[in-house]
Amino acid sequence: MASGATMHLAVSLAPETAPSSPSDVVPDFSLLTRSVQKAEAAGLDMVLLADSAPVAGGPNRQMRFEATTLLAALATVTSRIGLIAAASMVAHQPYNLARRFASLDIISHGRAGWNASMMPDPREAANFSRPEGFSGDAFRLRAEEFVGIVQGLWKGWDADALLFDKSGGRFFDPEKMHLLDHRGEYFSVRGPLNVARSPQDTPVLVMSGLSEPDMDIAARTADVVLLDQRSIDWADDLKRRALAFGRRPEGLKVLMNVVTDGEMAAMPDMFADRLEECFRSKACDGFNIAVPLTSALDDFIGLVLPELRRRGLVRSGYSAATLRAHLGLAGEDRQ
Amino acid sequence: MSAGRGQMKLGAFLWATGHHIAAWRHPQAHVTAGIDIDHYIQLARTAEAAKFDMIFCEDAAGVREANVDIASQTSRSIGFEPISLLAALAVQTERIGLVSTASTSYNEPYGLARTFLSLDHLSGGRAGWNLVTSASQIEAANFGSTGLRPHADRYGRAREFAAVVAGLWRGQGGHEGRSFSVRDPLDLPRSPQGAPVMVQAGASDEGRDLAARTADVVFTAAQTFEEAKAFYDDLKGRLAAYGRKPDDLKIMPGVAPVVAASEAEARAKHDELQELIPDDVGVALLSSYLSISDLSRYPIDGPLPQLPASEGMQSRQALVIEQSRRDNLSIRQLARHFAGARGHWRVVGTPAQIADQLAARFEGGAADGFNLMPSYFPGELDAFATLVVPELQRRGLFRTDYDGSTLRDHLGLKRPA
Repeated sequence: MASGATMHLAVSLAPETAPSSPSDVVPDFSLLTRSVQKAEAAGLDMVLLADSAPVAGGPNRQMRFEATTLLAALATVTSRIGLIAAASMVAHQPYNLARRFASLDIISHGRAGWNASMMPDPREAANFSRPEGFSGDAFRLRAEEFVGIVQGLWKGWDADALLFDKSGGRFFDPEKMHLLDHRGEYFSVRGPLNVARSPQDTPVLVMSGLSEPDMDIAARTADVVLLDQRSIDWADDLKRRALAFGRRPEGLKVLMNVVTDGEMAAMPDMFADRLEECFRSKACDGFNIAVPLTSALDDFIGLVLPELRRRGLVRSGYSAATLRAHLGLAGEDRQ
Repeated sequence: MSAGRGQMKLGAFLWATGHHIAAWRHPQAHVTAGIDIDHYIQLARTAEAAKFDMIFCEDAAGVREANVDIASQTSRSIGFEPISLLAALAVQTERIGLVSTASTSYNEPYGLARTFLSLDHLSGGRAGWNLVTSASQIEAANFGSTGLRPHADRYGRAREFAAVVAGLWRGQGGHEGRSFSVRDPLDLPRSPQGAPVMVQAGASDEGRDLAARTADVVFTAAQTFEEAKAFYDDLKGRLAAYGRKPDDLKIMPGVAPVVAASEAEARAKHDELQELIPDDVGVALLSSYLSISDLSRYPIDGPLPQLPASEGMQSRQALVIEQSRRDNLSIRQLARHFAGARGHWRVVGTPAQIADQLAARFEGGAADGFNLMPSYFPGELDAFATLVVPELQRRGLFRTDYDGSTLRDHLGLKRPA
């Protein structure tokens, strides 16, 4: 690598990622599989699966799959690429969410992650028996507690807790199972999780939808933070805060959300220039490329990625098995 | 076809290393089942090749046993979360139904309806939801509750929950009730089978009424033909009050088979498993089914003490007590007996003997089919699939191939309007 650093690349598939143009066609699982397998063949770090709440006035194109169930299915038809599902902290209880992702991580052999959005969606609260919604501060405090519980539950079993000792009659070592015993403002959760330890230590925590007051939560807990172009200047700040929390700045990856447009297909070199410039000048570790259409995925993989690779910015192929390793986060520990 | 009853339904109840509490210690049990997705894919394919109607996963939102020393002697503290497990299996199988348990106490109806509908789309119309109200303190402690809700409250919430889910699956939104409020319809298209199949297992009076009102399938536990028949007739008799016909609901008692080429071999196989149960584990399991925590302080070779009514599983408790009195069993004997089959019907014998017993309950009008609880995996599922299923097929009691593509097709259930 020219700079010694590796640009990390994710693509965001909307579950309604359609063959060519927006239409009323509902894509099936095989279409989504082909897209993810293409991204895997290209060696991308991960695919992000959106999970939509109902839209006022009704969606113009319905999606067919909830993101965590889609992730489980995709895990069985891929072998290397990371798989991140969005899951709402309003729609789920922390114990259930921790369990779902811990299970996904074992199903995928250590390639799963949770995209936690810090942006409350009032429409969602209305469908989850919370018609009053949440105030911004209450949502933030609750989210901070929620994330802490989930990450705590993910560490409830030591990596070597399971003994499988048939003749001795011990399935696990009782010393290596830990209760959480969390009692907080919004939740109390005893634990432990009833799913074994993750093959990659813990599932990857991606945080998105940040506003400024969320920076400390992200700096303390996230493995990956997604920032929009207008907030990418926060990247340095986030890394400084991570350092203050006793983390290595390299242990927190900041990816910038990029919307693909006509320019990408028409002038892929210029598109690659923009990515390179941002990667070299900011504390940005890579990009999350939105590919609402499969043609955009094809264009990115076929036209832009070879250019980035030629410039020595992107690793070629996978060198490890887990998502944490793809991201250069293996061995990192949070507080 | 025989005796005008058509063909029986079969579910394969997949659970970790096996349904026998000591299954994981068996030399042929796959001991890493709880962290091995390929193992589950293989089990699902075995059941599908044998033309089972469905695979079934139970669930609890917590570990099974609070006493860590006891828990560490069983394989049940860890495993896959069942919805993610079934979503993975959905795209690795083609025809078999996929049913998972989920609790009405620790979920919201909008999220649960949406998740199961997604599973239904991933599987092309093969999903089902087994409604439970959750009766364990261990689960309650993971959801901020100070204690278990009283039995009647749990069922009140469950009734509202089931009605909201059914409405969402029909494309409706807009609910304001005592426990839940939902504004919008689901943001997913309608189910390929009309709606996912609704399954229930509660056998109390409230549980039966809820099932008569909403369930497509009921799982139950019954030791004797008479118990099974009484439950069957009672539940089918409740359907008319809700404008439903007897065939609209399928009753599938659990059965724990131990099968071998000869009866002596089958008995030896069963004894081998029973020998692997530590006494403290057996007594703890029995205690948890009775929803009391301290059976271990009574003499293990003495009778079951008088027990107060509990807020836990009332129907299961009655079953255990009845059996102990009927057979004059000590705590140790009862513990071993229940540890083996968890209160379900155990049949030990040759393929012909097991087929005879299943046929007697099916043709005698005590069951529409059975939910199979193999003692250990994969061996006992393989044995049933290769030895007993062909025997049932020869007798015309079980399908030789799938006729349809959805779980509702397999079960002979109408598509909901």
